[in-house]
Amino acid sequence: MLSSTSCAPWLTHAQKPPRRRSFIHRLRQVRLQMDEYNNGDEVVFNADEATNNVKECIEGVIGGVDYSQSKVNQWSAAIVEHSLTHLVKQGRPFKYIVNCTVMQKSGAGLHTANSCYWDNTTDGSCTVRWENRTMYCVVSVFAIAI
Amino acid sequence: MGTPLLCRNATGSCARNWSIAFAFCTMDEGAEDETTFVVEDVSKLIKDSIETTIGTSSYQHIRVNQWSTTIVEQCLSQLCKLGKPFKYIVTCVIMQNNGAGLQTASSCFWDNATDGSCAVKWENKSMCCIVSVFGLAI
Repeated sequence: MLSSTSCAPWLTHAQKPPRRRSFIHRLRQVRLQMDEYNNGDEVVFNADEATNNVKECIEGVIGGVDYSQSKVNQWSAAIVEHSLTHLVKQGRPFKYIVNCTVMQKSGAGLHTANSCYWDNTTDGSCTVRWENRTMYCVVSVFAIAI
Repeated sequence: MGTPLLCRNATGSCARNWSIAFAFCTMDEGAEDETTFVVEDVSKLIKDSIETTIGTSSYQHIRVNQWSTTIVEQCLSQLCKLGKPFKYIVTCVIMQNNGAGLQTASSCFWDNATDGSCAVKWENKSMCCIVSVFGLAI
């Protein structure tokens, strides 16, 4: 993070551009305020709520359709974007990663695995598996506390 | 700014008919690599991990569980050895090649300046493997 004293020290304070606060920085401030309000209790990822959100997103995008190679790109993009938007709207101090895999049902084997190097007390993940007659969909959400 | 930092990647498809500069004036140029996500290094690391685990094998249902676990654990331990101030998430998808379509996508809400991701797609005659690594700065 740039500090005003280390950025272009030869400029006077009046000449320096105003510091631009990123959205992530504002979320950090929210987290600090929440920590104070909760008397220092950590903000924890709510996996159940995220699971329900993701299920609704999947149903909304591919709920009643059969696998189509021309559309699967658009479907997976829509699933990850809708899920991410719902998560961000909760306004919690987390960074999110949403991963979606869609596979046509043809008898092939599919295996997914993930491992994470993070803070067990504050970070979390959830995975939703969904299928219909013609395809499988696996969505994983990872939430990292800021 | 006010806009969320949203980035979307389509990480790859295997369809066959069937997807700080950092702040301080005292830091020298080489030190930037210490705190940024370097895609080339991570990509090479993932490829090595996949090659050593399944480089010469054919798809076997009973072993695929062990393979995917080994790949993610090896990647993660190599990433930790880099000693950078990052949290990591490694995901691996292994699919048998029999003409089925496979599409993966990911979207991330993070800090574009410090965080990064890398996805590697590898395949042989009998299976394909997609490994994604996400690095988030602490």
